[in-house]
Amino acid sequence: MHPLRHPRNAIFVGLVFTLIGFIYWFVPYVLKIHVDYAGVTMLAVLGIAMALMAYVLIAGSPND
Amino acid sequence: MTADSHALTTAEHSPVAGLTHDARGGISNPILGMILFICSEVMFFSGLFAAYFAVRAAAPVWPPIVEGDEALTEAFRLHDEPWFALGLTIILVLSSFTCQFAVWAIRKDDRTGFIRNIGITLVLGIVFLIGQAYDYATLGFGISDGTFGTTFYTLTGFHGAHVFGGAIMLSVVLYRGLAGQFSARHHDAVEATSLYWHFVDVVWIALFSTLYIL
Repeated sequence: MHPLRHPRNAIFVGLVFTLIGFIYWFVPYVLKIHVDYAGVTMLAVLGIAMALMAYVLIAGSPND
Repeated sequence: MTADSHALTTAEHSPVAGLTHDARGGISNPILGMILFICSEVMFFSGLFAAYFAVRAAAPVWPPIVEGDEALTEAFRLHDEPWFALGLTIILVLSSFTCQFAVWAIRKDDRTGFIRNIGITLVLGIVFLIGQAYDYATLGFGISDGTFGTTFYTLTGFHGAHVFGGAIMLSVVLYRGLAGQFSARHHDAVEATSLYWHFVDVVWIALFSTLYIL
């Protein structure tokens, strides 16, 4: 199996969304403008959902 | 051995150890379906959490102070009395352990251990639901008591509904287990139900942390 196809790598997909969520919170926080906490929450949790989806896609694929 | 003779097995060579797979390494359909369902549920609860955090961030003080109603203001202060909810949390976490013990038991074809642990999990789930109903009866505020009451009951109510659904799944699994329908080779429903139960447990830990600690 190619190392990139390891299901563990699904976590990186989740981290991308979590990172976007962090930026979405950090920039308004630094600029002292309104922080959209609903959006931040959705992006952070979207990371979990997307990691699960990536896990399913990788782990659920046949090895051959 | 032909590929067909071990179409469903706990494949040691699989990239996802422990879950049931077909011989080529793919996840079995019931488990695949459950993981995808859990993905949608994650986003469902994230919407509820997002609403809670948006309301909380917009409030000048949290929990809100109700002018002229000391009792309601006091009832909103969940942080002061988290002990009953902590007890419910411990019950649900324990049930996740017993659920996993049941999965490990059936993987080893230990049907007695499987039935015992699934039974304990079901009882703990029902105790949690009874505890939540008692909590609702004694909280001192209702769903119509402002945004705090609305968000609190929406979050915990939907979670309670999911625990109820999980309890039904566990009942079906227990019934099928008693009927001898599961073995080390065929127990997809057990694996799928345990995934759902762990998810419900994780959501409650997030809820408890958000509502009673943060």
